[in-house]
Amino acid sequence: MPTIELKIERLERLVGKKLDIKELEYDLQWISLDLEDVNEEEKKIKVEYNPNRPDFSSPEGIARALKGYYELELGAPTYEIKPGKIELTVDPIVNQVRPYIVCGVIRNIDLDEDEVATLMNIQEDLHWALGRGRKKVAIGVHDLDKVVPPYRYTAVKPDGCKFRPLQLENLVLTPEEILKEHPKGIEYAHILEGKDVYPMIFDKNGDVLSFPPIINGILTMVTDDTKNLFLDITGTDYNAINYTLNILSTALSDMGAEIESVKVTYEEDGKEIITPNLDLKKWTVSMDYINDYIGLNLNQSEMIKYFKKVRLDAQPAKNKGKIDVWVPAYRVDVMHEVDFVEECAIGYGYVNLPITIREGCIGQYHSIPEFSNRLRTIMIGAKYLEVLNFMLTNSTRHYDFMKRKYKMEDHIQIANPVSKEYDTTRTLLLPGLLETLLFNRSEEKPIRIFEVGEVIEFDLNEETGGAQELHLSAVTYHENADFSEIRSLLDHISTSLGITNDIEVKPTNNPTYLEGRTGEILYRGDSIGIIGEIHPEVILNFNLEFPVAALELNINNLPIEKLLK
Amino acid sequence: MVIKLKQNVIDILKKLKEKDVEVEASELAKELKIDYIVLMSAVNDLAANNLGGFKENKIDYLYLNDEGLDYLKNGFPFRRLINLILKDGKKEYSVIDLKKLSKFEDEALYRAIQNMKKNRWILTSKAAGEYKVYPDVKEAPSLEIEKFITTFEKKSYHDKSKLSKKEAEQIDALNRRNLLKREKKTQRIVYLTSEGKKIQVSKIEPLAEISNLTSDMLLTGEWERVNLKPFNVSVTGPRLHAGKINPLINIINKIRNIFLSMGFTEIKGPIVESAFFNFDALFQPQDHPAREMHDTFYLNNPKQSKLPQKDRVDAVKATHENGGDCGSLGWEYDWSYDIAKKVILRTHTTATTCRRLAQFYKNKEKPPIKVFSIDKVFRNEKVDRSHLAEFMQVEGIVIDENVTLCDLRGLLTEFYGKMGFPKVITRPGFFPYTEPSLEVSVYSEELGTWLELAGSGIFRPEVTYPWGIKNPTRVLAWGMGLERLAMLMAGREDIRDLYRNPIKWLREVSY
Repeated sequence: MPTIELKIERLERLVGKKLDIKELEYDLQWISLDLEDVNEEEKKIKVEYNPNRPDFSSPEGIARALKGYYELELGAPTYEIKPGKIELTVDPIVNQVRPYIVCGVIRNIDLDEDEVATLMNIQEDLHWALGRGRKKVAIGVHDLDKVVPPYRYTAVKPDGCKFRPLQLENLVLTPEEILKEHPKGIEYAHILEGKDVYPMIFDKNGDVLSFPPIINGILTMVTDDTKNLFLDITGTDYNAINYTLNILSTALSDMGAEIESVKVTYEEDGKEIITPNLDLKKWTVSMDYINDYIGLNLNQSEMIKYFKKVRLDAQPAKNKGKIDVWVPAYRVDVMHEVDFVEECAIGYGYVNLPITIREGCIGQYHSIPEFSNRLRTIMIGAKYLEVLNFMLTNSTRHYDFMKRKYKMEDHIQIANPVSKEYDTTRTLLLPGLLETLLFNRSEEKPIRIFEVGEVIEFDLNEETGGAQELHLSAVTYHENADFSEIRSLLDHISTSLGITNDIEVKPTNNPTYLEGRTGEILYRGDSIGIIGEIHPEVILNFNLEFPVAALELNINNLPIEKLLK
Repeated sequence: MVIKLKQNVIDILKKLKEKDVEVEASELAKELKIDYIVLMSAVNDLAANNLGGFKENKIDYLYLNDEGLDYLKNGFPFRRLINLILKDGKKEYSVIDLKKLSKFEDEALYRAIQNMKKNRWILTSKAAGEYKVYPDVKEAPSLEIEKFITTFEKKSYHDKSKLSKKEAEQIDALNRRNLLKREKKTQRIVYLTSEGKKIQVSKIEPLAEISNLTSDMLLTGEWERVNLKPFNVSVTGPRLHAGKINPLINIINKIRNIFLSMGFTEIKGPIVESAFFNFDALFQPQDHPAREMHDTFYLNNPKQSKLPQKDRVDAVKATHENGGDCGSLGWEYDWSYDIAKKVILRTHTTATTCRRLAQFYKNKEKPPIKVFSIDKVFRNEKVDRSHLAEFMQVEGIVIDENVTLCDLRGLLTEFYGKMGFPKVITRPGFFPYTEPSLEVSVYSEELGTWLELAGSGIFRPEVTYPWGIKNPTRVLAWGMGLERLAMLMAGREDIRDLYRNPIKWLREVSY
């Protein structure tokens, strides 16, 4: 979850109200902000916001919501956009690489240190939340007065131009060289991988403003002396770049600057757009729908008030029982009428919502956990202790240590584990039990443990290619552990399940077990598991020092439903 | 009246009669080769029959300390030195010679020389300009103190109150040399009463004492005649390694029970899951960061999942692209079948509840439906003391007509109340597949703090419409991880312990 640091003093100035940290801690949660950290000494707080509200990436954005919560300002905030003369043309060649751009001009900025930090923070958060790591959206901020309009958004060959990039201003590099040598080039080169041309913004004189989404030119670097900004937002998603521009320009406006529009002309079809466009978006919502969803019975003026508290504009619609609602241009999270249900509920206050109880339905347990519990009862009756192991495992321990042969193509393979520890999922419980013995080697013997749990078999007949099976495995570990002891356990299990007459054990060979002391367990002639003494090599592979006798049953091969009756 | 005593008590009485003196209990136990406790229990039996008893004396014991024990074993330093000199046989020694000869520290050497001089075994002179030692005897007889220290060989201590005058002098001498340590002890002296001295052993009837009842004794009636040895009932018994159900399973069963009592039916679903049910059907856009490789275990094998019936897949596709028939704008991008077919280990049990929605559609079911699942989910995370790559998730949903956000609050309050948390707070939250969404915190009396425990909400129309669940039928849902709660309940600090199975803990854990 993204976080933002807020200085109380600055927030007080923005909200226009004295704020107490304790009260703030309580209040913020009702506008879906979570207080992460309080620094009483420096009077700072750290707040976590949800990724659907990138407009909370600045103190200005949070102040807007707080002003509504405290009823200091209601309805949608208004922003003035001065019509500007600056223009940008879009060369159709960009369709091959990064098709969309919108722009804005911000005049008369007078940013203090905090506000500069905020500007950086917003960019970073927006690159993440809306930009998907600059792939979908990239932001360029420039000193407007260093370049000469009109500007042109185009694309060049990898070696099609040369300029001095930010951070490596002593070098004159081609875009291709930047992707190989510049730290930002290296970081974001994957976005342009396989493209024949690279996006570029030039001014009237052919000077480079930006090489989106990688780096700006040194020419338009923003300094303390910068008075006016030019914003370029490029990307692959037209809506996302507009939202980004809107969030950025409204935050800058709240810092005291003036927004000026830019005319962007797409040469391909001659379409002209004026951005930023901060027009409110109108929705018409049904009061019945909202009341029924929340479980309230609000009248029209109440509902309008609650919408206004969450900084939406609202007024009665022409049709009875409807309300017209206008959504600010920086809100990215409204796509369905249901989103107004939440807005209304937040305006009303979640804390004030009544608690109602709906009765009905008769529950039923699932047979797998039910049967698992039955097996557990049987096992603890035999003095076995229940353990739980991970389903994730690694092939070395799961197969090689057990002397089991396997083919990579016949088992589950994890593509991208963060930890090398895991490369597959278990097909048996026994290796986990042996690991548990290893972890507990020094505990008092005898150690008798069992696990009831699911394993996954690779099975292309299944919809997703993996079949879950319920297994039961048990081991006994001590000086005198032997076949007859574990055989008694099997007899106890089959007796308790009432299937003694259906169970038969036949001699078999299995690499994990000792030859001559291994049996295949059959239920009505079908194999359901293995029982025997563990092979000394396997015991030593797990660094154990006493004999181990074990059994493992595939419970899926038993008629679980019938046995539960 | 005939006196009845246990056989071992009779034996002890015999011994005491033979001795005819008061004896110290531990000495007697050693002599009779019986346990001290057995002896004292016998003495108690004698006391009960007014035949004997014991009295307690506080005694000062004098032992040799470590240095004293060294002298006892190897001789006093002056003895060691004179022996070396006499063996060496020279006529004069400088101090350096003696140091080489004896390897004593300076101070010990000086004291040994002083002692030899006092014993008139040597002469000393500085006449040659250097301090010299001249042996003056051919042999050096044992001193009193040397003889006395050997008395500690037989008995490791002397009783201060019982020293003769001569012994007391020697004790003083040892004490001056700092070779003693003192210990105060209580001594028990066993005696016979005049009755005990008088009684004839042959007149006493032996009484059998046994520790275990046998079948024979019960059947023959012998049990009535035997004396059952009393056991110490206050000590703990030998450790019993019983079978036990795992604490996490107990918590799971407790929660299953709560769900059942609230009318919920248990469901299960596949762990190897398609991206379709894990993400797409839950309206997570295909470029959503949560779908990325570093959060999700993708599988190389199997590589592709089958998808459900085509028209439902396309209904989901439509919600992403343009909102479909649910009145949404959608995410406005081109949805890919291939991305939806990717195979993963499910990251949440909501994939399973989503499958339940699909089943609802397929079987043309009618609301209300309440289901829950408690099952494994997987996250591609580094495992440490507070993170696991696989853990249990608890999840419940209600499909019903006209269910509301207030009903959801009621459900959560009821559920967590039954879990032992009567105070529940619900705040606005965000999940991609619910709207409105709730964060759920409960108050832990035990910790005196609020715990963020669960996420909750009403499934978005984009999630439910493809499965025919349309307003005013809605789906309430909530879910939480289990392990953090289990750690609190089981009192573990390291989350890995829940799956590392420390047997010592499992054997001792209470529930």
